[in-house]
This record gives sequence, C-alpha cells and structure tokens, in this order.
Amino acid sequence: MAHVPTANGTAMTGATSLVKSLEAAKVDVMFGIPGGAILPAYDPIYDSTIRHILVRHEQGAGHAATGYAQVTGRAGVCIATSGPGATNLVTPLADAAMDSVPLVAITGQVPSLAIGTDAFQEADIRGITMPFTKHNFLVTNPDEIPRVIAEAFHIATSGRPGPVLVDIAKDALQKQTSYDWPTSIDLAGYKPQTQPNQGAINDAAALIAQSAKPIFYVGGGVIKANAARELLELAQLLGAPVVTTLMARGAFPDSHPLHLGMPGMHGTVAAVTGLQKADLLITLGARFDDRVTGKLSTFAPNAKVIHADIDPAEIGKNRYADVAVIGDLRETIKALIPALTAALAKGRADISPWLASVNKLKATYPLGYDTPADGALSPQFVIERLGKICGPDTIFAAGVGQHQMWASQFISYEKPRTWLNSGGAGTMGYAVPAAMGAKVGAPDTTVWAIDGDGCFQMTNQELVTCALNNIPIKVAIINNESLGMVRQWQTLFYDSRYSNTSLESKRVPNFPMLAEAMGCVGLSCENPADVDATIEKAMSINDQPVVVDFRVHRDAMVWPMVAAGTSNDEIMIARATAPDWDSQEL
Amino acid sequence: MAIHKLEVLVENEPGVLARVAGLFARRTYNIDSLVVGPTENSKISKMIIEVSVEGHSLEQVIAQLDKLINVIRIEEVLEGAISNTKHDTQPDYQN
Repeated sequence: MAHVPTANGTAMTGATSLVKSLEAAKVDVMFGIPGGAILPAYDPIYDSTIRHILVRHEQGAGHAATGYAQVTGRAGVCIATSGPGATNLVTPLADAAMDSVPLVAITGQVPSLAIGTDAFQEADIRGITMPFTKHNFLVTNPDEIPRVIAEAFHIATSGRPGPVLVDIAKDALQKQTSYDWPTSIDLAGYKPQTQPNQGAINDAAALIAQSAKPIFYVGGGVIKANAARELLELAQLLGAPVVTTLMARGAFPDSHPLHLGMPGMHGTVAAVTGLQKADLLITLGARFDDRVTGKLSTFAPNAKVIHADIDPAEIGKNRYADVAVIGDLRETIKALIPALTAALAKGRADISPWLASVNKLKATYPLGYDTPADGALSPQFVIERLGKICGPDTIFAAGVGQHQMWASQFISYEKPRTWLNSGGAGTMGYAVPAAMGAKVGAPDTTVWAIDGDGCFQMTNQELVTCALNNIPIKVAIINNESLGMVRQWQTLFYDSRYSNTSLESKRVPNFPMLAEAMGCVGLSCENPADVDATIEKAMSINDQPVVVDFRVHRDAMVWPMVAAGTSNDEIMIARATAPDWDSQEL
Repeated sequence: MAIHKLEVLVENEPGVLARVAGLFARRTYNIDSLVVGPTENSKISKMIIEVSVEGHSLEQVIAQLDKLINVIRIEEVLEGAISNTKHDTQPDYQN
C-alpha cells in the first residue's frame, strides 16, 4: 500500500496526527483493541493504510507485535486503551524487554485534567512500565505527538532494541494541532555506540589467536544484528566450536559440524562442558544469564572472556570481561574477521586437540529420549517429526516449559528468525499470539506454534483473531495433562508431590472441539504411528488455522539438566546420571 | 563500604526522578543521599547522588544509569580534586 506523506504544518486532530505519524514511521500493521480513552485514535485508523488487527485480549496484541518484530526485524506495534487495556500489555512489554524486542505500544490515557484523580479506567501505565520499557512517554500536548512517535520508533529499534510505550491523554487526541514530522532526531542522553573500537577489536583478535580452547558463546544479539552470515564466516575462519543460546537458535546452522548445540540448564553435554572447559569465551550478543551460567562462581572457571555487545551495561554485569567490544555485532564481526586473519597469520595456538575432545563429547552424548514401553506417544518424538516434516524454512514459536525445551532441542534450526520463544521472561501463553504476529509478518511462510496444554489455555482466544483475519497458523498442543516443567521439578526436587500441576484430563477441554468453535480445524493424535500423517494433514490445510492435539505421556522429562543454582559441572544426562567424565579428556 | 558521589545531568522532564529512584531500587543499589536542582539551562536538571556501592561495581551503577534516555551525562565527584572523573561507561582500557 503506497503511503502518501502528509505535509508538515497540516491542521488536524491529535488523533489524526498520531495515525499520520505511525504511517510516517512505516508501520504496516498493528494489533489492538479500542476503548474509551483511545477511541479518538480509532476514527482515523478507520481510514488509514495501516492494517489494524482486532485481537481478543491486549496481551495477545503485545505478543503478536513481538512475534511480528522477531520475524521481520522491524518494530511491532500494539495499541490499547487506558486502565485495564494498558495493564494487559504489561506482560508482553516485560517479555519484550527481557528478550530485547523492538516494540512500540500506544495506549490511551484519561483526559489530562483527570490524570491523578483515580478517574474511570485510569492507570499510571507510564509509572507501571518504567522498569521494563526501554523508555516511555506520557503525552498531554498534541503538538508533541509526531516527535514522540518518531523518537519512540528510533529508541525501540536502535542500539539494544526494546519496548517503548507512548501513553496519550484523550484530550491530546481530540484537540486540534499542526502535524509536524521531525526531519531528524537528537536525543541528548541517547547515542548508542554502533561502531566498535578498533583497539578492542585488535585485542580480541590477539587473544583469540593465542587461545588453545576457544569457543563461540553466541546469544540472541547475533540475530538482532542480522549478523548470522558474518558469524558463519568468523567461526569457519577460526574453526572453533560454537554454542547458541535459547535466544540464538538459528543464528548458526544446527547442521554445521562446529555447532555443539544449546548451552545452559537444558543444554547439550558438549555445549555445557565446552563452555566449562574453554580457555576463551568469544561472547557475541549474549549476557551470561543464570540459565546459561548455572552457579556463576563456577562458570567457565579457566576462561578469559571477550564480550561483544551493543549494551555497555552488559559488560561486566555478571562476568568480568577481559576484552570488551561495544558496538553493533554485525559491524563488530565484520571488523573482527580481517583483524583475526592478520593475527592468525602471525601465529596461532593449535586448537585441534580441543576440537577433537568437544567432538568426542558431542558424539558420546547426543540428545535423546526414551520411548515409553506402553506404546504411548512421546512428546519429543512429536516435536522431532514436526521439525523433520516441516523443514528449515518453517517458523516455530514455542510456549514456555518442557515443550519449549524439546522444541529447542529436537528441531534443527538452520536460519535466523525461524525460532521464536519467550526466553528471558518465560511467559506462558506466548506461543499462539506470537505465532499470529509471525504469520502476519511472514504470510508466505508456514508458522507453527508448539504449545503446552497449560500455556494454550492462557491465550488460545487469539485463534479467533487468526480465523477471522486470514492468519492460518498451525498449533501443536503437546498435551500431557500437566504443567509439565513444574511437575518435572516436583519429581526431582519435591519428592514427586504433585501439588497443583495436574491439569487432570486429556479430554477436558476437548481441544479439537475448542479449535472448531473458534473457526479452526481441530485434529488429534495419540498413536505414534499416526504422527506423520497428522502433521501432513495439518500441513495440507492453508486456508484456516489448524490445531492438533497431540496427547502425549506425562512422565517425559527434559534432559540433560543442570539443576537451578548448581554448577554446570553437575550436569545430569538422566535422573541421577552424570556423564562418564573419567573417559573424557578435556 | 565505599560511597561515591555522582553528578548526573538529566533532562528536566516529569518522571525523571522516578526513573532514577526506580532504577536504584530495582537493581538494589543504595542511595545514601540525593539532591536535585536546576542548572542555568532550564531544560536540564542536576542530580547529586551519593551511592554506596556494595556488591556492585561503580561502573555497573553508572552504566545502568546511563541507559536511562533522560540521563545526559554522569560524572563522579572526587572530593578535593580539581576536575571530576568523566565516565563514558567503557572499560578503562578503551578510554
């Protein structure tokens, strides 16, 4: 849709100025629900070139905007009214902040004279969201709307991406103003450093060339910076092993021989141990999260650290960095390649024994799972077949819990932006709305939500939105009639006392009937022999959302596991079973 | 416990004090004292924050503070020194 720019100086209402500003910011879609305070804005939305998708709950709007942003790399936009409309956006904003997702949330606010009076549907959403927005605004003067919207998109998408909330008082939307889209943005307190310091690049290259046991510790920043191609070149130049965190799955091809898999609490033995035994962590856009490091004081005890990140506050936050490189990761890696080439030409440590030992670990301890003796369906098998049948071009969005870990482990990701999940916040209910947003952002790509039965019951109402707006996502419910990950912890740490983790039934709710009621196709499968045919049937339906209820056995557990708060050296490959360290030389 | 005095220039906008105080609270930094006043530029205010750094590095406090969009500049005030130490949140060797 061609957008005709509006001339500066044109007289209009604040509401029209808002919509013209969103158009000027090149927004093509937004997810939202109207209400009293935001209602003036919905009148010009009626005429706008921007597609507005009416969701069924504001949380769905927020996660959909996140899914859209994670697939396209552009800012996702959601819009809600004041009070409860705005507070329903709180979880998606917190989620986006934790995973550095560029998001712009627009909320209506009560009229400026009513602010602070406990007016109907008043909530101090700016105050509420201060801790987990990158920045937020309260606008009471309509003349400020274009500048604030321009700044919001600039802040959300530049530097370390993040969510920005713009709260606009109803009277500011109603009043007359003069539209004035800024030609440039100058924020005195916000000038992210994108170009890395050459001295730091040279120091990093020298350290890498001297290292006998280097490892690439790759985080989601590589995907945010669109640096996957550069990472591949750098990794092959050095020939060192690579691990990709939960947020970085797809940043480096799973099929690549240098890839050891995911590190962390449910990482592979090779990835976890590779980090532990390395003498140098080449950290690219990762943040030493507790789920990766385990007990921090015992993490990678003999390793020096190179830490490259766009956010200076991540440097030294959890782990001391011997060399810090602040800048855009794509620029950083592009600068590192020639610097490392030069450093390696001067001489390098022999990393072949190191590579042989991590490869031995990778071969000895591949990911695996037990098939239930009674012939029941195993959740890992379902997820593995989904990955195999749908292929590397498919986008997968997971909920949070066991199914999320299995979806990270048993699907092979070859490309960036094909794996979406709620990594930092761990938001149950993320999958269905995020998949909806992803499908809107990539309409020609197959999008699967892999969800748990617990998660699905939190946000499945957005399937109505999908059905009515031609957003044909597919949903695989891994139905184990349990809050599976919590149940796993109860099995391991609470003496199998299953307090409030049983969802009681694989039949209530009847998920296929629920799907049909929401305008989707509902399928079910509980026999391993039917899995492929069921997935293929779901893949053949492209004009409607499809929900498949995979009824799996409830006692499957996610392995390997590093129990919370313990050292990565304590990794277990099955219950009470450690790797056979004596046979390994590292 | 080391107490550091920071001179922080911020945009004179509603909510800036809440942003700074909230940041210190949620990241468990201790504010020993806090003074806010005007500068010769009506768009900019000055905060003098005394922070007791315990379990955190001063660099981390400053780096987090610097992430606030409304924070323009942070300097550590060294008592008796002629000039203050400017922090740009980079590790020392890069300065």
